[in-house]
Amino acid sequence: MPLPAKAFQHWLHSVAPATSTADICRIAGIKRTTLAQQLVRGKVAEATLVSISRALGLNPVDGLAGFESYAGLRDTSRPPTQAELVSQIATTDLLRAVIARTGGGEATATLSPAPHATSVRNWVDAIDDGDVRHRVSAATGIARQNFSAQLTANRLAPELAVATSRAAGVGLAGGLVATGLITEAEAGWAPGARQAALEALSDGELATLAGDRLQALGKTLRRQEQEQAQTEKIWENLG
Amino acid sequence: MLEWGTLLVCGVALLVRAPDALRGHNRSVFGILLLATLCSVLSIPGPYLAIDQALGSRNLTNLILRYIVFGMVFLVGLRLTTALGDGGARRLLTGRPGWWGLAAACAAVGLTFWLMDTHGSSVGLKETADTARNAVLGPFYAAAGRSYPAFVSALLLPALLATVRAALPRLVRAGAAVTLAGGVAAILSVPASFAPDSWEPAQLLVNFAAVLGYVTGLFVFWISAKRGQLRR
Repeated sequence: MPLPAKAFQHWLHSVAPATSTADICRIAGIKRTTLAQQLVRGKVAEATLVSISRALGLNPVDGLAGFESYAGLRDTSRPPTQAELVSQIATTDLLRAVIARTGGGEATATLSPAPHATSVRNWVDAIDDGDVRHRVSAATGIARQNFSAQLTANRLAPELAVATSRAAGVGLAGGLVATGLITEAEAGWAPGARQAALEALSDGELATLAGDRLQALGKTLRRQEQEQAQTEKIWENLG
Repeated sequence: MLEWGTLLVCGVALLVRAPDALRGHNRSVFGILLLATLCSVLSIPGPYLAIDQALGSRNLTNLILRYIVFGMVFLVGLRLTTALGDGGARRLLTGRPGWWGLAAACAAVGLTFWLMDTHGSSVGLKETADTARNAVLGPFYAAAGRSYPAFVSALLLPALLATVRAALPRLVRAGAAVTLAGGVAAILSVPASFAPDSWEPAQLLVNFAAVLGYVTGLFVFWISAKRGQLRR
């Protein structure tokens, strides 16, 4: 469930008591009609709060943490695990690291910021003890296949991302980073934490991980090609 | 009302495809739509009566209409199984089961027609002689005329359903969904033939839904193809 409109307005009033809604929308780059619609429906998207927080120079995590469903988001006692950090490194960056290590040449370039093209599924896989999807679906009532469909589309509703963190017993902000709602810095991840996690991987671990990512990429590409061919055939015969 | 709507949809679908057909592209789909338009013309009293009177007022036109429908449905099955890549269904359609099915349906339609007293032109054989024999045979004649379309539709269902559920462009899936609805209506129209007279509106609805579903489905597939080509 997105944020309740009443609580959202309460938050907005506390962070920007003197600013009109029109001004808020302008500086945050949100359409006024979008915000108005969300307020009328009684559900405000988390992304709206994030945009407004950033525009006001606030950390969106602080804002989100004030809402009941995101309580505990600010808890810094549980930093991201090594596996979570590595999961947020793009496949191309991993491959570059493999080449740099085996070729013994250039130091790796700076990592591209999270999220990447498969960051959501990689994150869930990184925290999955084999049963986490089951527990998420039990806790939230989402059907397993709908959860999977979101992962395949590299999406995950924020409340599900938090529920997944809870089910896996890791810090609550990780999924929000993986879905791109907040940045690593906003989540309180140390700068260079991903780089350090990458360097901590042994050559064998890195090669295996990169291999797994490549295999998954190959599977996705093959499926897309197959779907493309299927579509072409339909168009060719019925178009 | 329904028959005019169907004619309109078939006519529009036919006209928009005319340029492609002139260029020699996918003429068989154009042929399907031409037959569909012809069928919907023959479902309208004016043209039906005119043609049937020329053929001797024995409702021979209705029998011919059934055979045209069979031909059209065969072409639809051929085209769709190829397009959707369902080799199994295509082999069933063009192999022995398909031919036997078609032969049986043709024989059943011809036989029931021959056994009925069909004097006096009327669309859908509504006003033929009110004999006990006609009352018994009428529904069988109607069901026989819908058996082959139902058979082909049943062959198409799995591939259509798979296409609806696949991660394909939205319009392609929509086309498959509409066609699927037409197929389901075509299957339902067989038992509907035996429904009591008071159900006539529902019967008519199912029959026209079958035609409309197939024709509109082909139309949506066509739009999706055009949009896909534009994007490239």
